[in-house]
Amino acid sequence: MGQNEKKVDGFRFLPPGLKAWVRTFIPHEDFGGPIPWTPLSKPLSQTTISLVTTAGISLKSDPPFDMDREKREAVWGDRSFRMIPRGTTEKDIDVNHLHINTTYIKQDINVMLPLARMAEFEEERIIGRLAPSSYSFYGFQWKNTDFVEESIKPISEKMKREGVEAVLLTPA
Amino acid sequence: MGLAARVLEEAGLSTVVLTMTPEFHRAVGIPRVAAIEFPYGRPVGQAGDREGQRKVLLMTLSVLEKARAPGEIWPLPFTWPEEPKKADWQPPEMSPLIKLYLEEIKEARRREAEKEPNK
Repeated sequence: MGQNEKKVDGFRFLPPGLKAWVRTFIPHEDFGGPIPWTPLSKPLSQTTISLVTTAGISLKSDPPFDMDREKREAVWGDRSFRMIPRGTTEKDIDVNHLHINTTYIKQDINVMLPLARMAEFEEERIIGRLAPSSYSFYGFQWKNTDFVEESIKPISEKMKREGVEAVLLTPA
Repeated sequence: MGLAARVLEEAGLSTVVLTMTPEFHRAVGIPRVAAIEFPYGRPVGQAGDREGQRKVLLMTLSVLEKARAPGEIWPLPFTWPEEPKKADWQPPEMSPLIKLYLEEIKEARRREAEKEPNK
């Protein structure tokens, strides 16, 4: 399906043990079921875009994602979400995630949630508009999909109210 | 994240997932994927590299316009400048999950190593 030359190896950065283990969760065959689809209805230059990341980013003025409970219950992950307004910078945030090094996000929020870059694209009319709100939830959801009801559905409703048409998602 | 994209797409929003692990598409069925071979925690690029981040994002956003059918994977042609061992993406402390499954992880590695000589 890929139209470019580069072969992306999703396991390249994993140490050998983790790589072997993660592989045991991934089917060999391509996904065979139905996939939901909303075609982009207008050019990017007229489209309102919001961002969603799984990196556990919260505003310093909000409660942080709960790492203490996960430290006690290894298979539990915080299912809540945080709204991150446009204009937020690395100075305004906490980042809590037990599965990655969060140092770089704290140095430059754009490596994970590229609010400044998207504001530039809006200014340059590459995109129509960056929505007032972007979002973070916490990507470690081990064999549990409760975050869909508790976070993703409320996020989608807020996006609709803000006139969002397209979403860039950046898993951590 | 694939599941989140599916839910948003069902709600009438067009999505693109910029992921380091496009293989997860096989498990979940992600509507649009821009695949990038970058370390975890930095899908958009290096801290402070405004130009590099812009290039990654422009190609990722273009997938919203280019993808014609659900489930397309568009690999992005970028190469991380450090070797994986130098990328320093792992948390300072082993995660609770990895601690819990450490034996299973070692076993998976042993099994993989046994398969290697036959390749």
